[in-house]
Amino acid sequence: MGWVAFGAWFPSEPLPSQVQEVSLISAAEFARLSQDVAAPELSPEPATLAVPDTANLPEVAPPPAESTTETQPEPVTQVDPDPVVEDRPDPVPEAQPEALTEITPPSPVEVPELPTPIRPAERPDAGQQVDRVAPVPVAPPPPDAAPDEVAQPEIAPEEGAQDPQEVQEATAPEAASDRIVTEENESDAPVASAAPARSVRPKARPQRPDPAPEPAVAEAAPEPEPTPDPAPEPTPTEAPADRADAVGDALAEALSGGAEVEAPEPSGPPLSAGEKDALRVAVSSCWNVGSLSSEALRTTVIVGVSLSQDGKPDTGSIKMLSSSGGSAAAARQAYEAARRAVIRCGAKGFDLPPEKYAQWRDIEMTFNPERMRIR
Amino acid sequence: MRQFLAGLLIGAAALAPAGIVMAQSTPLRIEITDGVIEPLPFAVPDFVAETGTAGELSAQIARVVAADLAGTGLFREVPASAHISRVTDFDAPVQYADWKAINAQALITGGVSVNGNRLTVRFSGYDVFSENMLGEGLQFSGTTEGWRRMAHKVSDAIYSRITGESGYFDSRVVFVSESGPKNDRRKRLAIMDYDGANVQYLTNSSAIVLAPRFSPAGDQVLYTSYESGFPQVHVLDVARVQRRILSPEDGVMSFAPRFAPDGRTVVFSQSRGGNTDIYRMEIASGNLTRLTSAPSIETAPSFSPDGSQIVFESDRSGSQQLYVMAANGGEARRISFGSGRYGTPVWSPRGDLVAFTKQNRGRFHIGVMRTDGSEERLLTSSFLDEGPTWAPNGRVIMFTRETQGASGRATLYSVDISGRNLKPVRTPDGASDPAWSPLQN
Amino acid sequence: MGISGMKRAICLVAALAVSACSNATDWRDDGFGGSGGAGAGTDVGLGAGALAPNSPAYFQQTVGDRVLFAVNQHKLGAEAQSILAAQAGWLNTNPEYTITIEGHADEQGTREYNLGLGARRANAAREFLVANGVSPTRIKTVSFGKERPLEICSAEACYAKNRRSVTVIAGGFTS
Repeated sequence: MGWVAFGAWFPSEPLPSQVQEVSLISAAEFARLSQDVAAPELSPEPATLAVPDTANLPEVAPPPAESTTETQPEPVTQVDPDPVVEDRPDPVPEAQPEALTEITPPSPVEVPELPTPIRPAERPDAGQQVDRVAPVPVAPPPPDAAPDEVAQPEIAPEEGAQDPQEVQEATAPEAASDRIVTEENESDAPVASAAPARSVRPKARPQRPDPAPEPAVAEAAPEPEPTPDPAPEPTPTEAPADRADAVGDALAEALSGGAEVEAPEPSGPPLSAGEKDALRVAVSSCWNVGSLSSEALRTTVIVGVSLSQDGKPDTGSIKMLSSSGGSAAAARQAYEAARRAVIRCGAKGFDLPPEKYAQWRDIEMTFNPERMRIR
Repeated sequence: MRQFLAGLLIGAAALAPAGIVMAQSTPLRIEITDGVIEPLPFAVPDFVAETGTAGELSAQIARVVAADLAGTGLFREVPASAHISRVTDFDAPVQYADWKAINAQALITGGVSVNGNRLTVRFSGYDVFSENMLGEGLQFSGTTEGWRRMAHKVSDAIYSRITGESGYFDSRVVFVSESGPKNDRRKRLAIMDYDGANVQYLTNSSAIVLAPRFSPAGDQVLYTSYESGFPQVHVLDVARVQRRILSPEDGVMSFAPRFAPDGRTVVFSQSRGGNTDIYRMEIASGNLTRLTSAPSIETAPSFSPDGSQIVFESDRSGSQQLYVMAANGGEARRISFGSGRYGTPVWSPRGDLVAFTKQNRGRFHIGVMRTDGSEERLLTSSFLDEGPTWAPNGRVIMFTRETQGASGRATLYSVDISGRNLKPVRTPDGASDPAWSPLQN
Repeated sequence: MGISGMKRAICLVAALAVSACSNATDWRDDGFGGSGGAGAGTDVGLGAGALAPNSPAYFQQTVGDRVLFAVNQHKLGAEAQSILAAQAGWLNTNPEYTITIEGHADEQGTREYNLGLGARRANAAREFLVANGVSPTRIKTVSFGKERPLEICSAEACYAKNRRSVTVIAGGFTS
């Protein structure tokens, strides 16, 4: 009803006749105005729905305890990872495959095109603002490539094409800038398209001996890896824990040599630095902090998760172990973003060596957004 | 389907290597410090019409919710054309797999019923990948004319639940509507929803009006009008559109008014003998107190949210800079030290930042700095940007952008305080001097 | 032009009721783009050839009703001082008129600051006139900041003409 109706009273200016109407708005007009302006009546407080919400909850499995205790970020149940596989189906990978066949192109190669309708033609061209900020600048993909940061569990091919490399070939890293491009700074820095050639921001994690090329790292981090260096480089101070790990990893690697290929011992040697990095990068690529409050961006959360042997996270096992730096509410938002990252990017299974399953079955991931705060 | 699923699971269990003894080791620990910042994909299917007359509104409300969320730049809508399943019963279980398949990470569903002019909106949000509800479902009811406000309230609830910050959608903006050429610009006060809908005019264009400002309760607007031939501060009751002059002293120019957080006091500038200073007035008594007394220009005062301090601009140093003083005057501390000139400071509703206009090397910028002047960040750059105003949650800034040249025109823009999501706010005519209301009740 | 012509007519009919024509400067501005205003106008429309020396039109066109200022300045230059001296002379020989001095700024500044700057400029002109014998009770000042530009291009050529004070003859009575 708003201004459209009122527009009839004030035809768009300037009309000559308007000039003569220097008088104030008449009382009648004001009365009409005040009518229009009167706020609609609204219930002052939102009412909680009378409908029992539990009736709405997931259909496949009984809702995990977290759904009702969401407001309490404390871990609710200790879920033993082993039985979960049997009695609590993970609905992510296999749920309703038949529904999907209706809309999914049969060929696995075309699978990654599914997300395209989400962002139709809105991938910016080189030189334009990019609405995605990622740790490492990524050039915009060719127009027909689909963003690849999200694994699409349901459409994961059932047979063949198990090789993640093949899927990755059909996609390109989503365009991203390593900082927020604003009007103010867009002109005085290289645009995203030029970015992969250089590393604008130093990586925080130490460059460690890297025995094997890691597909995931190679994809997300276009800057060239240094040649393998037997000794850890002087380490940035922010990752002391990693450094200790790195030494241990290097040692373990040196001792084990190439034996791990032949040794199918599931509790095998610790993960190599490269393997851990691959996991870290895989989770990072789905860790979207863009919708978090500034307080949540000051909150570090430690999230526990158990993986099945195919590398997929057991959704029910995900829990917040601890948080620091923010209120309980901020921790909840931070935790939820972390949980989404684990579930989404783990949906196809993290690329981890099966022979070391015992080493990565239970994972504690620390999500520290310090470096993501203002980008 | 469930049988099929169960069969798959049994198969999977059978395949699991049974004989391997899993060593119970300490968990693997990794630290994630590099994430991505990108809009969160969400889906808002049309709300379910639960009465026969609710059909149109149920779709419109969903569209407003989608526009609100997508408009923040923090979220991105997965369009309805990509949806796999339709929501035809608000109380039915959510088909999570269908929403995961299209990567909708948040889902908002709702039901709308209309009885006479009574409108009731129920809604729920879902974290799709976790298969959890985003908080409790809520319901609002009101009159059908208020449907947009109810949609905004839905958006506020969802936004707040996902981001952890209060929303800003159920708010309004008072501004100066502009028409006519640059040398004969007509200005009149107008008010609209934050998204540009429901524009109403509060004055006609017979006199220049400038820089309206909301009272803390949102029911009154201070502004400067040349109705008497001189700029004088007026106060206008928004609901009744009644106005009066607040600073009636004949021949004394008064401008740049702003309410104190208590709503009972205002500050503004007066020019006497060519010297512009800041004054404070109790509205009830009309008692006037002079807060600055330098021979320089002191103007654009803005209170801290707790009412204890005032940030303002002054050229006492030789160029426009920002200063902070106590709310009852006294010594002022300069907080801006970068190159260029700084003006129109506005204290953020959270209290932690000051937004300002900066002029430097022939360009205008909107920027923010901490209240001690540190961490200055410029968010925009153009031929002429000025006059920032804060969204009630302190996350978004709206301002005036004027284009260059003889056909120059003023438009409102908004930008996230990160500098992202810069975009124009649609208004029927040119528009300047926006002021954001508090969240409505 | 149609609008300003209309407005001119209205304002004349309104018998110099200044308060009803808050943007009354426009019609004077239209015809006089020149810096000093002296004899520069061609679209006079009021009978330029028959200006009585004691008429407001004579004051505007022959004496010159405006002075210009440098960027961000309110100091009076030599040319400004000579124009204002002439204004003072005219006002002293025509004591029945009161005046309003308008201060203006170019668009390169924030709105509030430019109001303050315009006030400074108007006051600088006022003080000069007072120092040259014009009674302060005959003078009002008002600042329009950047709200009423004379020239509309976004270049120094226009800005220079917009940074001005304009002495407006308010009529033979004190309003």
